[in-house]
Amino acid sequence: MRFIFLTLLTAIVVVFLNPIAPFWVVMIAIGALSALVYPNGIGGFLGGGLGMGLTWLGQSIYLGVTTGSSLPDRMGDLMGLGSGMTLVGITGLVGFILGAFSGWTGVLFRIMLRKTPQNVYKG
Amino acid sequence: MKYVSFFLVLAISISLAVIVSIPIGQIPPIAPLLDPNHGFWQNTLSEDQLARNEMHLANLNGPVEVVYDKNLIPHIFAGDELDLYRAQGYVTAQHRLWQMEFQTMAAAGRISEFVGPIALELDRMTRRKGLTYGAEMGLQYIQENDPETLRLIEAYADGVNQYIAELSDARLSVEYKILNYRPESWSAYKTLLLLKYMSDMLVGDRDLEYTNLRKILGEAGLNRLFPEFPSENDPIIEAEKVWDFTPVPISKPDSLNYPDETLLINPLNQPIEGTGSNNWAVAGKKTKNGNPILANDPHLSLNLPSLWYAMQLSTPTHSVKGATLPGALGVISGFNEHIAWGVTNATKDARDWYKITFQDDTRKAYKYGNEWRQSSYRIEEIKVKGQEVFLDTVIYTHHGPVVYDRTFGSERQDVNFALKWTVHMGSNEQKTFILLNKAKNFGDYNSALDYYTSPAQNFGFASVSGDIGMRIQGKFPLKWTEQGKFFMDGANPQMEWQGYIPNEHNPATLNPERGFVSSSNQHPVDPSYPYYVFDNSYEHYRNRRLNSRLREMEQITVEDMKTLQFDDFNLQAAEALPVMINLLGTHKVDDPAAEKYLQELRSWDYFADPNQKGQTLYSIWSSEVFESIWREFREIGVPVVLPNSYQTVELLTKSPNDSIFDIKSTEGIETAADHVKRGFDSLLVAMKKWELEEGDYSWANFKKTTIQHLVPNFNSFSVTNVYTGGGSGMLNATGSRHGASWRMIVELGPEIEAIGVYPGGQSGNPGSKFYANFIPIWANGEYLNFNLRTIENQEDILFKTSLK
Repeated sequence: MRFIFLTLLTAIVVVFLNPIAPFWVVMIAIGALSALVYPNGIGGFLGGGLGMGLTWLGQSIYLGVTTGSSLPDRMGDLMGLGSGMTLVGITGLVGFILGAFSGWTGVLFRIMLRKTPQNVYKG
Repeated sequence: MKYVSFFLVLAISISLAVIVSIPIGQIPPIAPLLDPNHGFWQNTLSEDQLARNEMHLANLNGPVEVVYDKNLIPHIFAGDELDLYRAQGYVTAQHRLWQMEFQTMAAAGRISEFVGPIALELDRMTRRKGLTYGAEMGLQYIQENDPETLRLIEAYADGVNQYIAELSDARLSVEYKILNYRPESWSAYKTLLLLKYMSDMLVGDRDLEYTNLRKILGEAGLNRLFPEFPSENDPIIEAEKVWDFTPVPISKPDSLNYPDETLLINPLNQPIEGTGSNNWAVAGKKTKNGNPILANDPHLSLNLPSLWYAMQLSTPTHSVKGATLPGALGVISGFNEHIAWGVTNATKDARDWYKITFQDDTRKAYKYGNEWRQSSYRIEEIKVKGQEVFLDTVIYTHHGPVVYDRTFGSERQDVNFALKWTVHMGSNEQKTFILLNKAKNFGDYNSALDYYTSPAQNFGFASVSGDIGMRIQGKFPLKWTEQGKFFMDGANPQMEWQGYIPNEHNPATLNPERGFVSSSNQHPVDPSYPYYVFDNSYEHYRNRRLNSRLREMEQITVEDMKTLQFDDFNLQAAEALPVMINLLGTHKVDDPAAEKYLQELRSWDYFADPNQKGQTLYSIWSSEVFESIWREFREIGVPVVLPNSYQTVELLTKSPNDSIFDIKSTEGIETAADHVKRGFDSLLVAMKKWELEEGDYSWANFKKTTIQHLVPNFNSFSVTNVYTGGGSGMLNATGSRHGASWRMIVELGPEIEAIGVYPGGQSGNPGSKFYANFIPIWANGEYLNFNLRTIENQEDILFKTSLK
């Protein structure tokens, strides 16, 4: 549940924050978000990753389709990657990796702050 | 453990963020490039998708309206000239900023700053031939003499800079993103630098090659193979013209001692063959509607983003439209409500070289007459990406900079040559265009041209009042016969230029009897012109084709002019091919391939249409024949120029048994026929290979016209294999990399009718639908409507923007 929540929140952050902030600010925000939502480690990793990766993927597909621009193909060719579709995939992948490690870092940060329960069996 | 996990993953995250933010080798930072909100995906948006109704532009005296027609051509309506040029700078930068900057970086010798040491030699050459020095002199000249023009140039720069200041990462040109740098601020100096860059692109000299040839061939041999006037001269200014002025006397030294070594240094880069242009104007008496018609098509390198950017610029007192140069003010080739003008390059030897004798190794003084003159040093600081700053010391004499010396480009350690070039002298070309833009008649046009220095141009003219004219304008040195054709001795004061030809003595004509004026980079005048005129690269075919067509045409319409601009009749082939076929005789008569090609050549009508095979065969065969004839020249091992194709064809035709055709290194005596046969054999070999590898050898497929991005290895931003005809020496001079960079036709009736097109698009963004959308139109010989618009006109509007 928390993982899905994190995914959605991350997507919202990318949609609204990313246009006015560079990617590394978005990474910090995802980390903070992940610490707040506090899913488990895998949830943080996948939630941040899918949130950012899918949004970047969606945004690049949206721009490519709505503009009908030849630029993705031209860029794909220039970078030796063939077509623009490959670049869509790479954009999504880079978004996923950046988001995933940010999300995971956020969860681990929260875990680090968590007080270790002591004297559980005491008294 | 939890601390370790956190810091470990944090470290990975930070490392990832850093890795994707920094360039790795030639790969730009990945994340900023791919980020859909800031990276290249943002460049998929076209200008109409980003349109805004209102934008802020500071320092305006009043609101400025910018109306974009459906082709993204901006029509700027401003209250005064200051606002107009401020808005021109802003609007041009919106669409062409990267290109403007890139071109001025090249002109300033600063390419190494972002591509690294690979461009260092190029940058050194640019600096050493004094382009930056020339731009500084130009700025100083305008500061001292023309504060009004300077104010306009600074307003333009302010417009560009306001755009740069508000530029977000998302809107940055994709080239900046790939090459990973940001624009720096624009300045008046950069505008002047751009105009100097045009000079560099269009001006050549062959002093080095002629010096060598004179040594090799002797005076007589040189004059025979390289006559200064062709036998069939069809000059720009009609031959009948009577020169009604008394020329300034020029004293030729009694005895001339040219430096007489054979020289091995590398010549300066020359304008690439095929760089040239056509313009003409026909008088009302030759046109169907009785209105003058003017046409212009400058031929330059075909590049994307295009060198040209179309615009209309209007104030309450004038409205001008046509092709602008991003970075320069006003329209360069265009028309207003009263006049139209067009430019072609007026090739004339404007660069001379002087051999400098230094007193000693310090090079602090050089010999001049009986004295030693002090030289000065100019330190060029060249930043090199990934390396330390390179400091290059260039020595300046009163002649100009010493381009080649012991530190640069010279295989011989003892040669020092100073370059004298009008580009180094203060001038104000920008004022010419500002004045031309608002000229109302021939008088205004002439006064505007008086400010024009370099690169010399043939300014064609037509007006609503019915005048047509042509003036060859530049700052031309007064030279005695053959002065500047060869290297000169810089120590001899008699070798100096003796002043400049007064503007009013520059070749010009108004309303000639023949009813038209025209120029195609040919000889400007016939031999009766009282000043010495020399250049190696005058055109001999386009001009004759153009003038013969204009002579025979009557009842001319704009449609006829379109046909003429797109005319791809190969006059050289029409003159040379029958001779070559005749000289070939029965050579290879039994070879079926030879027979097939010959049949195609015989049935060819000499038009280089894209589907023609004859043109392909002729182009290979003739170049192989010319190559075979002049091979021994090439093998001498020092830089020389070869006799031009006109001269070669004349020799083939008139003296096929001349001793010039004999190859000295072989036994026996060769004649023209031997070269024609050898050339034909080479054609067979080349065609066999081509047919095997490529198959189709129709002309368009063979010449592969390419409109190349300014960064040559950005191949996918180029447009390749454009299906279009034409070629070098034809009116439609579209070769593989050069051709009509802008075509314009204007009929100057009560309502001005104008059409134009260029091989590119208004947008400099490779992701925009306006990036290359004119290319198919251009390739088919079609045009866009270029009529002047009023602010009230609501037709075909893409969007409007108010600048406040």
